[in-house]
Parts: sequence; structure tokens; C-alpha cells
Amino acid sequence: MKRTVFRGAGAALALVLALVWAFPVYWMVNSSFLTPATISKLEPTWVPFGGNLSNYRAVLADNAFTSALGMSLVVTAICLVLCLVYALLASFAIGRFRFKGRKSFVLAIIVVQMLPAEAMFIAQYKMLAGANLLNSVIGVSVIYLAMVVPFTTWMLRGFVAGIPVDLEEAAMIDGCTRMGAFRRVTFPLLAPGLVASGVFAFLQVWNEFALASIILTESQKATLPLWLRDFAQSSNLGVTEWGEVMAGSVLVAIPVIVFFMIVQGRMAQGLVGGAVKG
Amino acid sequence: MKKTMLGVTAFAAAGAIALAGCSSTGEGSTDTTPTAAGSEPAAAPAAEDITLWLAGTDTPDALIEYLKTEYAEVNGGALTVEQIGWGDLISSLTTALPDSENTPDVVEVGNTQAATFTTVGAFMDLTDHYEELGGDSLLQGFVEAGSIGDSVYALPYYFGSRAVFYRKDIYDAAGVSVPTTLAEYTEANKTMLDEGVGGAYLAGRDWRSGISWIFANGGDIAEYDGSEWHAALDSPEAIAGMEQWQELFTTANVAKATDDDTTTYSAINDEFLPGTPASSTMAPSWATWTLGDFDEESEAYVWNPETFGVYALPGVDGGVAPVFAGGSNIGISAATQHPDGAMALMEIIFADEYQQMLAENGMGPANLDFADAYIGAGSFEGVNEIAYEAAANAKLTPAAAGWASIEEAGIMEDYFQAVAEGGDVASLAVEANAKIDQLING
Amino acid sequence: MTTTMTAPASSPARVEQPPRRRRRGQKLPYILLIPAIVTLLIGLGYPVTWQILNSFKEYGLKQQFGQPAEFVGFDNYIALFTDAVFWQIALRSVAFMAATAAVTMVIGIAFALLMKVIPTWSRIVLQVAMLLAWAMPIVAQMTVANWLIDDRNGVLNYVLSLIPGVDYIGHDWLRDPLSFFGVALVIITWASVPFVAFSVYAGLTQVSEEVLEAGQLDGASPFQMLRLIIMPIIRPVLVILILLQLIWDLRVFAQIQLLQDFGAAGERYDLLGTYIYGLGIGQGQFGAAAAAAMVVMILTLAVSWGYVRRLLKEDEES
Repeated sequence: MKRTVFRGAGAALALVLALVWAFPVYWMVNSSFLTPATISKLEPTWVPFGGNLSNYRAVLADNAFTSALGMSLVVTAICLVLCLVYALLASFAIGRFRFKGRKSFVLAIIVVQMLPAEAMFIAQYKMLAGANLLNSVIGVSVIYLAMVVPFTTWMLRGFVAGIPVDLEEAAMIDGCTRMGAFRRVTFPLLAPGLVASGVFAFLQVWNEFALASIILTESQKATLPLWLRDFAQSSNLGVTEWGEVMAGSVLVAIPVIVFFMIVQGRMAQGLVGGAVKG
Repeated sequence: MKKTMLGVTAFAAAGAIALAGCSSTGEGSTDTTPTAAGSEPAAAPAAEDITLWLAGTDTPDALIEYLKTEYAEVNGGALTVEQIGWGDLISSLTTALPDSENTPDVVEVGNTQAATFTTVGAFMDLTDHYEELGGDSLLQGFVEAGSIGDSVYALPYYFGSRAVFYRKDIYDAAGVSVPTTLAEYTEANKTMLDEGVGGAYLAGRDWRSGISWIFANGGDIAEYDGSEWHAALDSPEAIAGMEQWQELFTTANVAKATDDDTTTYSAINDEFLPGTPASSTMAPSWATWTLGDFDEESEAYVWNPETFGVYALPGVDGGVAPVFAGGSNIGISAATQHPDGAMALMEIIFADEYQQMLAENGMGPANLDFADAYIGAGSFEGVNEIAYEAAANAKLTPAAAGWASIEEAGIMEDYFQAVAEGGDVASLAVEANAKIDQLING
Repeated sequence: MTTTMTAPASSPARVEQPPRRRRRGQKLPYILLIPAIVTLLIGLGYPVTWQILNSFKEYGLKQQFGQPAEFVGFDNYIALFTDAVFWQIALRSVAFMAATAAVTMVIGIAFALLMKVIPTWSRIVLQVAMLLAWAMPIVAQMTVANWLIDDRNGVLNYVLSLIPGVDYIGHDWLRDPLSFFGVALVIITWASVPFVAFSVYAGLTQVSEEVLEAGQLDGASPFQMLRLIIMPIIRPVLVILILLQLIWDLRVFAQIQLLQDFGAAGERYDLLGTYIYGLGIGQGQFGAAAAAAMVVMILTLAVSWGYVRRLLKEDEES
């Protein structure tokens, strides 16, 4: 009896907290449907009755958004795939083997994450300019990749360590090649880990804008966060068109939410597997 | 697509190319219209694709299109225009300008940044072309910001100025008239505030407006002694100005010490501020676009001459107080690989037609010969006339190498806010001076 | 540098540990590391070298525009260490990091414990809400936050003003530095709690019901159970989470930069990330910025050294 009341109260609290956590997202969506006249009233409009899609039309009117979306998708896809492959290989090395220099490598990938990126922008610009890679997908991917590989390696290491080698070896005895054993046995076990660490790589690349603003100067090469930032700040002489800006924010968030929905099931599994293994 | 056009237009524009060739020798005639076909087509440079960086979205699209078309005609090459947001401008300039592979060929910079980039050698020397591009008709304060000694590097692009926008209805209700001295301005606002009908809107951190009080009293931000800049906020004149501003702020003002300039664009609109309404706001001349009655249909603010008015900030003993001039400079990157193309673009920009277009679009033209068009263009009863009047004795920030750093660090904003909060002006001035001195010489 | 080849790798607590391969002269691990190392060398090799070198040079805008940069030894470092502003900002950053990390961890753990005890349907609702928050891109997060706290039309000021006697309409949350960082803390916490909560919850699912029931039968109070049974099991998760929060919160840049863009700018609103950015990109003092970046890295390492060492040790034991 006491337990039921306790659980009931817990559920109520959870609902309140869910409301609090989701409110900013709701408010963003709500505002994105409101006209400037409604939105500039002192009293907020809680539900977008009578709202319309004009903000979205305004945002999509110039193709700056679509080109930024394309750019972001390409860069993120490249970085995500390469990052997972490279980090997986490296995590096998440190998760499965003891070798000279291993500890240094582990320490290095931790320390690298502590290096403030903000002072390196000039050097990174010079480097890409020298290689003729400014305003290019490759240029920005090269740097983002170095940004996400260390953490992904670190995270994957825990998953790799948790996979019994015996299983692989058993498969090899059953006639699988080494690659075959990896594909049929190891990889499925690793999938949740790849998803969980992939989420982080995805978010980091998707969110970056400071370096992008320096190495992607051509407007048709801007990534989504750059586009949204400029869009939000190019407000008309101090009067921000909040409806349009919120519509822009919704559009920037949608790809991530879609991505999260796709990987969501695996991610939960991944966090269980990886986190506990440390 | 641009490349395919190139071949066709290159031929057609052979005559015009000659002009670019001519001017690059520095001996070009003062005739800047691109019709000087027939003059020796000898060592004509090939058509060049160049890039122009404009700051923000201030330049209207129609003008950008004009530049592109005109450049294609004159040079045969394609002109790419990138609008770099004001927030990213410094970082983009810092990285790209020194890099000959990636530098924009022609760049617009904020007038307060012009000195910094001029001093470090970011721009090509334009001294030989100065006369041909407008010479002494160009707004001199801006020319100075882009000069080192007698050499000119960056020229004015456009200017804006500041004026007081006010509510006629509130002034009438309180029975006050447009003030004619700076002290009267405080007095009039105090009267209104005491009656509870309105007050001045001077944002505490909006030093670009507040600096007029220092200028009007004969003070300055910094002075050049021939070799170095020294902050001068502690001069008696500057302190007198700030004390006057402080008095206004604490007794006759409805803005807060922590407010910045964004609200000044809308402060006097109906129901904009909670509490006591603002009866006047000091803002750049282009604030006319955001001031007025709200029009439900167009969902924009429309200037209403019945209730809205504008006047120039009065000086200490009448006349007009010097204001801070907004606007920008434009120059050719020193690292450009296309000096001829870049020069051709500069000639288009400083030719009569473009200056006229700037003026008609409400942007103060670099060449003051076109001031009439600017004044006439003001659709809001004489705003531009007042802006022009103010621009004539407008002042700029110190043309010092380190000025951009001072703006970046927000030193002026912090100083004005501290004064607005009621601090002792003299000691705050000394503090701000020390911070400025540390950075101003780069 | 040290090699762990001779160290016994098995720890009795973890029976499921895979046997390590430790044949001498193995080439495979090195081959596996090649792509990652090459990536790091390409992406970071030049920038990091440049940064280290230039932290010892006078490198400003003039040098950027072609003048030779001279070596000045430790001048940049000395200037930094004797600059009161730098220390202020460093202290502020550490305080901000500590506060944000602590609040995030406490709320995250509390959420995880809550999720463990509530009915499934309500847990899923909470999880979906958190997933939405987690999925919000940073620029969108900050833009929305700026709209929520907008001084004139923001819903926060409106709701606060509904309280009798309170008038917050027109209140600017980004002006007072303390309030500015409070806003930043709330946003960052809001966005990072989901990860912490999910991870800790994942850890909690490893705590078996039998152990808990046994504890209950032995008369352990809920707090004792938390401290004596649950905490030790999820400790490895907590160590990693704390380390990550420390690193992320100390080098926080994007959120602060965007908040500054929206409202206040100036050193009073700076943390180390924006300070370095302002020094370098903003003021063109690249040498000084490079030196500051090196100091920040060492500072981060110092602050988190305890955790890093523990991690390395656990890594070795596993």
C-alpha cells in the first residue's frame, strides 16, 4: 500500500519534471507557428491556435537553409562513418592488447580533449588554406574528425573490452575467417556501443560552429548551426522575428531528433553496456 | 555557370578592360565612368573573377546586383559578393586578408575597425587613385581612419549618423518644446519624467550615443601625441560631459544602466516599454525603419509624422552636438592577386551612379557631392538632412591600431554602465583610461 | 611510457574479463592504431605545434599580416600570470565548472533513481522529454533560451510577473554577470542531465533486485542502501561521468559565446573559452591566446588529475 502511494507520487513527480524538460522544446514549436503580431504581444500565446506555416515559408524562401542542411548532412555523415571505423580499430588495439606505448596513447586521447580549441583556429585556417581546402567538405571534416576520434575511441574501448574473445575464437574454429567471425559475432555485440558513441560524435560535429565560421566563409558552404546563428542574429535592427527564428530552430533540431529516434533503442542498450564497463 | 559567361563577356568588354589597365598604372583620368573605350587597349589584363566582402546585410540587394552586372561589363570577369556577418567580420578578416590565395579582393570594414587593419598593412595603397575616386569630396573623417600619414588605404563606403527621435504627442502633453541646448534636453526630459508622462531613453551601455556628451563638451576618447595614443577620458571636458550625461541618466531617463543599444531602435513605439514610456530615443538615422505605429497588415512599424519627430542632439551652447558617426570603410586587400579587377570595382563603387544609388537608398554616400540626393531621399521628414548635418561634424573613434581590441573587450560599454549606475565619474574615468591605454596602441 | 605487459590483468571482482593477448612483438595493435593516429596528426599536429611555438612568440595582428614574429621566451606566460583579469576568469571558470558539474550530477543521479522506482509508463514519458532536450542542437538551445528569457516578450518574465507584487517585465537576465552565468548554468544543466541520467540509470539496472531485497531485509535504510550497495556498483560510471562533466564544463565555449552574442559582451561575462577566443580572434593577440590555451590545458589536467589517474588505474586493472 505504502509502496503504491510512493510509486504514484514518483510518477507524478516524473511527469512534472518531464514537462519542465520538454517545455523549451514545446515553446520553440509553439512559437514557430505564430505570426509576428501575435508573438509581439506582451501576453504569451500558449497554444498556437490560429497559427500558420508562414514562418516556415519565410525561412525556406531562400535556399540558404537547404544548402546548409546538405552541407551539415554530408560533413556529419563523413565524420560519423570514418570516426566510428577509426575509433573502433583503435579501441580494439587498446581494449584487446597490451603493448608498449598503450598507456601513452590512452593518456594522449584524454589530454587531447582538454586542449582548448579556440586558440588553434588561426593555425587550422592556415593549414587548410595551405592545402587549398578552405570552404570544402574535406577540410572541415579533417578537423572535425580529429576532434571526435579521441572521445569515441575512449568510449568504444569499454564495449570492446566487454566482448568475450572466446566467442570469436569459437566462431573461427567453426570455420569462420577472422573477418567473418568479427562480422557475425563481434559486430552485433558491438552495435549498441557504436550507436552510443556515435551519438556523441554526431552531436559534436552537428553542433560545431566557431571553427566553421572561420573556415567556411562562403555563404553557400555554411553548416546548419552557422546558418541558424546568422539567421537569429541578422535580426532586423534589433527587432528579432522570433517566430521565424523559432521555425529555423525547429528545422535545425528535426534532423537530430530523427537521428535519435532511429538509434534510440540501441542507445539505451549501449549506455548500459558501455558505461558499466568504464 | 559564372565561368561560361566569362568567355562571352570578356570579348565584349575589351574596351572597358583598357580602362582597368590604365587606372592600374595610376595615371588614370578623373573620368571614372567606364566608357573610356578606345584608349590604348595594349597590355589589357584578362578578365578577372574577384570577390567582394560586404559587412552584414546593410547593402541592399539591388545595389549588389548592380555591382555584379557593372563589373561583368567593365572587366568581363565575375564578381562574387559575400555578406559576412558583423559578428564574424573581424575573425574572417584576420584570417583571410593576409592569405593571398583566399583573400577577398575588395573588403568593407566597420569604420571603427578601419584604423586597425590599415595600420597592420592589410590594405593596398590607394593614394595614387585618391583624386580619381573622389578626393576631397569624400567624407574626410572616414578617409583619416583609413590613412597613415598622407597615404590613403581605405576609403569611406557609407555613413550613418545619430539623431534624437521623439514623440510629439508626449512633448505636447507635457508642454515642453524641442530643446536647443544639451542642458535643456536634460531639463525637458526631467519635466516629462516628473509629470510621469515620459523620459529620455538612453541605454546605459550605449556609449556610441552617450559619447556625444563628451564630444559636445570638447572632450575626446583619446588623443594622439605624434607617436602614441593616450586615453583622454579623464580630461576636465570629458568628465564634465560624463557628469552631464550621468545627471540626465539618473534624473530624466527611463532606460536602465544595463540596457544596450538594441532597444533604442524601438523604445519610443507605443507600448514598447513597460512603465513610463520613452519620449525620445537617440539612435542611428536608419532607425526610422523600426519606429512608428504598428501596422497590422504589413506587420511592420510605419513612421507616423503626426506623432513622431526627429531633431539633432543640441550642443552645449546651442547648435548641434557632434555625434558618433556610424558606417564603414572599403579598401583593396594588400594580398590581392587581382589588383586591376579590384581597382575596376572600386571605380564602379565611387562612380556617380553608385554613389547616387547609395544616397537614394538612405545610406550616407561616401562622396558628399551626392549629399543632396541623400537628404532628398529621406522619406521621413528630414531625417537624412539632420543626419547629414550631424555627419558634417561627426566624430570617429580613435584611428588607433588597438581600437578593435578595445571594442572587443567592451571597455567603453562597461565605463558608461558604471557611470550610469551612479559611480564617481572622475575615478571611473581614470580606471577606464588605464584599460584603454593598455590596448590602444596595439 | 610504462608497459603493462607483465602486470597481472585479472581482477577477482570481474570474472567476465576476457583474457588478454600479450604476445610480444605484436604488430596488430599498432596497425589498428594507425588510422586514429594519422587522423590526430593531420587534424591536430600542425595546429598544436603552431600553438606551442607561438605561445613563445610575439604574434599579433602585425605578425599575422606578414611581419616576422620574434621569440620572446616566456613573456606571454609571464604577462598572463601577472594579469589579474586572467586569474579572475580562471577562478570564475573553475567555480562555474564546479557548480555546473555538481548540479548536473546531483540532478542526473536523482533522475536515474527516480526512473528506477516509478511505473514504466511514467518513466518512458520522462525519458522522451529528456531525449528531446538532449537532441536539441546547441545553437537551437541557446536561441530558444534567449527567446524564453527575452526581456520584453519572454515567457519567463511573464510567468514570474504573475506572482503578486513581482514585476519582471523588461528584466534582462543577461546583464548582471551572476545572473548571466546562472542562465548559462541552467541551460547547460538542462542539456547535460539527460546523458547523466541515462548513463546512471543504465548503471542502476546492473544492481540486482535480490541484493536490494536482501539489504531491505537486513533493515538497511534507503540512504544506507544507496551509499553501501548502489553507489559502489555504479561508481565506475560516476567516475567517468564526473570526469567528462569537468572537462566539458571547464572548456565550455559555444554556450557562453552565443549568450554573449545575444546580450552582454565584455570580460565580466567571460569564461576561459571565450577569453581565449576574444584574445586571439577578437583582439588579434595570437601569441598570448596560445599561451593562455596551454595554461588552460594544464589547469584542466590539474583539476581532473585525480579522476584521470583513477581512470588509468582502472583501465590497467581491467
